[in-house]
Amino acid sequence: MPFSLITRERFFGVGLIIPTLLFVSLFAFYPILYSMFLSMHRILLSLPGLGREFVWFDNYIELFHDKVALHSTINTFLFVALTTGFEILFGLVIALVIHERFRGRGLVRAAVLVPWAIPTVVASQMWRFIFNDKYGLVNFIFYGNHVRSYTAWLADPFFAFGAIVIADVWKTSSFAALLILAGLQIIPDDVYEAARIDGASTWQQFTRITLPLIKPALLIALLFRTMDAFRVFDLVYIMTQGGPADSTNVLQFYGYKKMFAEGLMGYGSTISVLVFFLTFTISLLYIRMIGSGLMREEA
Amino acid sequence: MKVDKLMWKSFFLWSLLTLLMLLFPLSSCTNKEHAQKTLKFVTWKPNQPAVWEEIYRIFEEEHPDIHIEREVGPHSSTAFHDLLTQKLKNKSTDVDVFFMDVVWPPEFAAAGWALPLDALFSQDRQEQFLQSTILANTYEDHIYGVPLFIDSGVLYYRKDLLEKYGFNAPETWLEMVSQAQKIVMEESEQGNEIYGFSGQFKQYEGLVCNMMEFIMSNDGSFINNDTGKSNITGERAIEAVRFVRDSLIEKTAPRGVLTYQEPESLDLFIQGKAVFHRNWPYAWEISNNPSKSRVAGKVGIARLPHFEGSQSYAALGGWQLGISTFSEKKELAWKFVEFLTSQRIQKLFAVKSGKAPTWKALYNDEDVLKANPHFKSMKNVFLTAYPRPLTPLYPSISNILQRYFSKAISNTDTDIKKEAEDASQEIDRILSMTQ
Repeated sequence: MPFSLITRERFFGVGLIIPTLLFVSLFAFYPILYSMFLSMHRILLSLPGLGREFVWFDNYIELFHDKVALHSTINTFLFVALTTGFEILFGLVIALVIHERFRGRGLVRAAVLVPWAIPTVVASQMWRFIFNDKYGLVNFIFYGNHVRSYTAWLADPFFAFGAIVIADVWKTSSFAALLILAGLQIIPDDVYEAARIDGASTWQQFTRITLPLIKPALLIALLFRTMDAFRVFDLVYIMTQGGPADSTNVLQFYGYKKMFAEGLMGYGSTISVLVFFLTFTISLLYIRMIGSGLMREEA
Repeated sequence: MKVDKLMWKSFFLWSLLTLLMLLFPLSSCTNKEHAQKTLKFVTWKPNQPAVWEEIYRIFEEEHPDIHIEREVGPHSSTAFHDLLTQKLKNKSTDVDVFFMDVVWPPEFAAAGWALPLDALFSQDRQEQFLQSTILANTYEDHIYGVPLFIDSGVLYYRKDLLEKYGFNAPETWLEMVSQAQKIVMEESEQGNEIYGFSGQFKQYEGLVCNMMEFIMSNDGSFINNDTGKSNITGERAIEAVRFVRDSLIEKTAPRGVLTYQEPESLDLFIQGKAVFHRNWPYAWEISNNPSKSRVAGKVGIARLPHFEGSQSYAALGGWQLGISTFSEKKELAWKFVEFLTSQRIQKLFAVKSGKAPTWKALYNDEDVLKANPHFKSMKNVFLTAYPRPLTPLYPSISNILQRYFSKAISNTDTDIKKEAEDASQEIDRILSMTQ
């Protein structure tokens, strides 16, 4: 045997990693790097005569002067803040409820997950009907048979934005609940018992025991939801197409329009790269927070 | 030793798996024999599928060796464009024949996606078609598509209601608004809830068509023909936009029109909830079909109104057939295109589905006119329908216009002038790329 045991084990380890690495490179690293490469070109599909001019960071400079991009970035951040905030809040409430023991809990747990299991496209179409100005459920609830006062929710820039937020919160709160529930289940019962013996109120138990102990789960839910919310596309595509008055235009939708409708491959990629860096930075921040949180737990 | 063996075994297995997964998608392309006789047609979901079925049947009966395989795309022009260009961008051989909206030929031509048809689509044959439709398919002196249907904006109205109040079809927009107001008021006193107008004002391509008609019928335009630059900041154009915002939306039309594409707006009309309705010619058959419409037989059709001192303009729409540059069966593809756009098949479409043909002679055809009596008076509207800007960068310009118009008409306190200036700058920047 020419190699020592340790060397051979290293080889073995590398051998196991290589296939995965190949896969990840092919399906994650390559597209990301290629997007960055494209984002430094001026490519107009409808004007192939211009060729693929390498323009360094021109697209990025243009992006920073693009009012529509700025507007959709603000929209995206607003969407992320509102949806993740509400989703974590509702997720926590749902998780606390379905963590309790009661008759029919299994059924409730399954029912809670239904919105999350519906494909977003279908859910968006459903919410579009719910907010419809002539036969929508929202109008029926508010105005009943007073058809004359029915409001066209999706025709109003403010309410249209609210509508996509509501649709997203409805759809994914249960996903947050699922993650938080997992966190709740690892808290041992005797901690609560000890607290009760010491005379802690239910509220004190919640703020002093439950919340600190599910912090990692909360952060993970937050991480997943933030990254997901940044990529919001289908809701906008189905419900509003970015309108009215561009009020629901978000970054991913804007990038999609640039790339697929207008054929600006370079500029569209620039927007994708921006979205990538935004989510990447935010997830790094979260991961640091989760890491430090876990470490304190162990200490 | 044991570790080594395991390592190589697992490495080998993993690599094999990886390879298999990579090769798998490729293996489906090898079945050439069968593909030879199949033509791939990218189309949208038709309003009257039965007519299409009949036409496919005729073609396959006459050409038993060719099978038409349809790929049905979304009905929305914008969504269909995304699907189709995605395939063409990838030089997919999976597309032989495809539909093009009237605004696409310059883009498809410049991008090298649509095959130039000069050799196949003879000059003599071209002369049989309405001229505006041929122009829309021509880019830098080559022809890239064969027009199948022509569309142009027209005004539908409730004949019964206008007669009841002693009105004729309105000539000007102001006249239309005042007629609508009177009818809506009197009807609602009798308990009949109805709106004055319905059209397409969602932030999408149809908004551009609708707004172009308002602007041009006020002597405005999108692009200044002399300078080749954006003209939407012009006084006349802004006046027309302001009219739509201040006199139509929420006053004559329900605010919901800001979310309407064609189907929703037509729905309002055929439910008997709108006095006036702007749409394309296909709405005639549907609104007069008693099984679909509550106002069948009570519908009138007229050219669109205009502003005082100007004249009517209708946006040119319509669908063309193109052949993909990447098709491996271009000759078969032409056979199919020639068949679909032939006089007899266009006649069938016109008689059975109310689609307006592009073949000139059909506007004097007795059967066509019997099924579509309005074609006689509408022929001039079709002949004068005005195209949207003919440039390969039209999708970009359309997106800018959609944003601008939607902003301008959704809020009553928007500074239209300023929004127009912003949009105008963007349009000029895009236009300068082509020069």
